[in-house]
Amino acid sequence: MNNKVIKRIIELILLLVVLSLLTFALMYLAPGDPAEKRLSSQGVAVTKEVLNAERARMGLLRPFFVRYGEWLWGIIHGDFGISFKDDMPVAPKLIKGLKNTVVLALSSLMFSLIISIPLGLVAAVKKNALIDHVVRLLSFIGNSLPNFLVSVLLMYFFCIKLNMFPIIAEGNLQGLFLPVISLSIPMIARFSRMIRTEVLTQLSEDYVTGLRLRGVKEKYILLKNVFYNSIGHIFTIIALQIGVLMGGSVVIETIFRWPGIGKLVMDSINARDYPVIMGFVIIMGTIYVGINLLSDLLNKVIDPRVEV
Amino acid sequence: MKSKKLKLKRKVIIAAMIAIILIVVALLAEVIAPNDPYATNATMIRKAPSAEYLFGTDNLGRCVFSRVLYGARTTISSTVFLVAISFFIGTLIGMICGYYGGIVDEVLMRVADLTLAFPQMVVAIAVAGLLDGGLGGAMIALGITMWTSFARLARSHTLTVKQMPFITASRLAGKSGAYIIIRHILPNILEPVLISALTQIGTTMIGISGLSFLGLGVVAPKAEWGSMISEARAYIQIAPWAVLYPAAATIITIVVFNYLGDAVLEYRDNA
Amino acid sequence: MRKFNKLFALAMATTMAFSAAGCGNSAKESSESTVESNEATEQEEVVEASDEEEKTSDGDNILRTAASFAYPSLDVHKEYYGWYTSIYGLSEALFKLDETSTAVPCLAKDAVSDGTTWTITLKDNVKFSNGEPLTAEMVIKNIQRVAEINGRFDIFGTFSYEAPDDKTIVVNTGDEVYPTLKSDLASPEFGIIDLENTTDFDNDPICTGPFVITEFVPEGDVKVAKNENYWGGDVNLDGAVFYYMQEDDPKLLAMQSGEIDCYNSVSSAALEVYKQEPDKYNVVSVEGTRLQFYILNENTMDGAVRAAVNLTIDKEAIASYLEGTVTAATAPFPSSAAYSKVSIPAVDTEKAKALLEEDGYTLNADGIYEKDGQPIKLNIAYYAARSLDTLAILMQEQLKAVGIDSYLTVEEDPDSTYIANADFDLALYCMISDKCGDPLYFIDSTLADGAYYNVAGFKNDECQKMIEELRIETDSAKRAELANKIIQIAIDDNAFGYVGLFNHTTVMKPGVSGFAENIPFDFYGIDANTTK
Repeated sequence: MNNKVIKRIIELILLLVVLSLLTFALMYLAPGDPAEKRLSSQGVAVTKEVLNAERARMGLLRPFFVRYGEWLWGIIHGDFGISFKDDMPVAPKLIKGLKNTVVLALSSLMFSLIISIPLGLVAAVKKNALIDHVVRLLSFIGNSLPNFLVSVLLMYFFCIKLNMFPIIAEGNLQGLFLPVISLSIPMIARFSRMIRTEVLTQLSEDYVTGLRLRGVKEKYILLKNVFYNSIGHIFTIIALQIGVLMGGSVVIETIFRWPGIGKLVMDSINARDYPVIMGFVIIMGTIYVGINLLSDLLNKVIDPRVEV
Repeated sequence: MKSKKLKLKRKVIIAAMIAIILIVVALLAEVIAPNDPYATNATMIRKAPSAEYLFGTDNLGRCVFSRVLYGARTTISSTVFLVAISFFIGTLIGMICGYYGGIVDEVLMRVADLTLAFPQMVVAIAVAGLLDGGLGGAMIALGITMWTSFARLARSHTLTVKQMPFITASRLAGKSGAYIIIRHILPNILEPVLISALTQIGTTMIGISGLSFLGLGVVAPKAEWGSMISEARAYIQIAPWAVLYPAAATIITIVVFNYLGDAVLEYRDNA
Repeated sequence: MRKFNKLFALAMATTMAFSAAGCGNSAKESSESTVESNEATEQEEVVEASDEEEKTSDGDNILRTAASFAYPSLDVHKEYYGWYTSIYGLSEALFKLDETSTAVPCLAKDAVSDGTTWTITLKDNVKFSNGEPLTAEMVIKNIQRVAEINGRFDIFGTFSYEAPDDKTIVVNTGDEVYPTLKSDLASPEFGIIDLENTTDFDNDPICTGPFVITEFVPEGDVKVAKNENYWGGDVNLDGAVFYYMQEDDPKLLAMQSGEIDCYNSVSSAALEVYKQEPDKYNVVSVEGTRLQFYILNENTMDGAVRAAVNLTIDKEAIASYLEGTVTAATAPFPSSAAYSKVSIPAVDTEKAKALLEEDGYTLNADGIYEKDGQPIKLNIAYYAARSLDTLAILMQEQLKAVGIDSYLTVEEDPDSTYIANADFDLALYCMISDKCGDPLYFIDSTLADGAYYNVAGFKNDECQKMIEELRIETDSAKRAELANKIIQIAIDDNAFGYVGLFNHTTVMKPGVSGFAENIPFDFYGIDANTTK
């Protein structure tokens, strides 16, 4: 097993190298020049001389592989480099953004679970009753809502129509509320559906029939056995969602001006701030692959039959 | 039991009919649209819905109803095209991986892992820059990750089909790998992958309009729901109709296609 | 991990509870200002109070406003950071620009030139916020520091400086005459810092302005307080807060909810909203210096087509779509300036058609002009910012109406695409045409031979000769005359079209004034006279 983990970690590193090389190449090919973006950020035209001097200063005139190699060398030494946009170190920017995104993602995850676990359970237990149909319908609609639309509409109704939330609330609890709702709606839809299916599968297992025959209370079976047995699968679902969440929060963060890593990378793409974009790719790649690995390992712990 | 199946079949037919109606409306946009969706009109800026302008007018005095109709065409056609291409590439790669296995499988599947961690926005902007903007960038950005789900599905089904005796038989008969993949494997795995493609339509639509919303999709003045919403968003306080109608159109279309996908899945599972 | 989750569950529970309770009491961890805004929102929600006055003017004398940019440093001399230290009221330059784009005294009394020598006299009573008086030596060090660390002002490194006494500076510009020295020194990047006593240039520069920094979050919100030592007398405000808000929507919403008192660069959407309630919002709009213009490619279009395009594009109509955010332009400069006196032919679509027909174009079956079987199809290149997307759509429509077909090409970054490779027939662009009250900068960037934005074949010897003259002419009346002639040549040649100048639009709550609302430049904000 240890060998396999080591193999996965080596794979991860190779993956990150290829990923970063591709991203670097794409940014290299994309039109746009960080020096020019920076010099004309206030709309003042630049002259060729000033532009070239700035390019030279930023190291943009050197060949592709030299620049990539230098960046890679830095990363190996834990140095994420200096932002092209403002000469500030990249690492603190990424950490700050990541922190905010993690807060947003985990809050949404918790919120979604708090809502969807009871919904899924009830829908499964009362299969084909009215409540089941309502839950399924809602989960179906929730799954069909683009999150940018949810955000725009929530903002319209809560901030403008109802005036319930202050506008200047970046990075605090009030600022968290609407983005969490926007991110949660599709997740609640997906989770409650999956939980319902999972619980239904468990309920049809032989051991449940056995327990029932032994006269164990239905409530007890449900909360103790069925729920407990479903947890492994639910965890896998969650693990897979975290990656999606981290990547998918770009739109939400942009709309609600949540200072997370998604908004950071969007701003950085617009400013052609290569070092930040590259740092983002490394972090997201690690998180994504890391979470997948972790969920495989956990599945193995829960159920030793699973191959890593 | 029979009646349940009948009920499910009816569900599929109803969903398919609504989807077809939507597609027909999109195709006939030119005939149905009461106004030129691109004609600007300085005297009709942001007018509320009326008989002449069913959904009101937008920021440049253009007819929102006509733009929603033309937008249907843009959105639906690009979605279907993207799903079809991803389906084709993904299925092909999946079958190759599943059939040949070994190093080919290993490499291609690692590539598939790789794309999932790829920042979509970077791809969209870079490709849009290289292709002179337009939907191409957004579609490639989405397609880069989309083919992988088809590939995985096709691969796992191929692995099952591969064990069947008739495959071994035709291999012994000296048929080439390509022949076996096309003639024997493809027909046997087509159904589940096709159904999966159907269920992907809704998600893809969400993806395309999301990128358009961020300004990475269509080029102005082309009508597309995501970009219409994003353009009109600033005026939501004084002209909410310019946002709400395209938003409703987006939601309804996604709901219909998701419903169709679900219905087909359910029908098959109960078959 | 478990503990962590619990924490978040708790956080979410709090959020829920708070949402259920409307807004009230979750203010413990928010900053002072959000506390107030909370109360404000609650008030509006519960009482539906429409009285704007009640909301934030609860006795304090702190101006709250929004800033569209937030930089990581307050170092006046670097990059564009000086624009914001100027807006925050921290830094002042030797001169400042007034309503008519003229450099008027600020820290200096005057600057006079005698060929290659400029003599600058400082005001006597200027002192830094730490009480230190401003000396000529200090000004020289400041100018040299700007030249050293800001690439856009390299040329100041080639001059020599002397300080014959404490309040006089003599600048020798070498062999070349440098006529724009005075207005250049009005640039906010030349804000004066106490270089001796400043220890943290990025976070706490010691300057001469009416305000001093109290809280600076890099790329975030900024708080300033009254400078008790201000050399220019009493400062009205006790302080100000600048919230960092990039986009237009939040500024509008924050203004509506009373969380901010004023801001500038109002979007046309927001302007519409404010117009509906004139008693709640005071909107002031002056012609600004940000110019929307287009370049006509002389290498791909003959004179008749270019002339026809210029006769067709209806700037007034375009401005009316952009409702109040843009003023239709004649010259590339604000109409109040002496160097913006040029004439342009009126819109005349009949004449445009006649010109095309004279040149051998005929209308084809689709209603498009063609010549030798080749219908006109112009490539309009633009980028989707500064309303240029709207311009592109409207221009396409206007051109189509006279029989000139076109297609739109959108680029994310114009400078490295269509400006760099001149791949367009008509290119839209937006830039600041006047950065310090002088025409040379714009002329030099767009009309001079080899200029960065002169990419589409405009070349005129007479014009070039006058540009050379403009570079060395020191008399401002003669400069204006030269500039007018130069721009007129470009107009007559149909090389460019100047579409609109963005208005410098400021919205203020009643009672707020002095937020640089009458000055066309973007780099001024609060000063000693700002009131709330």
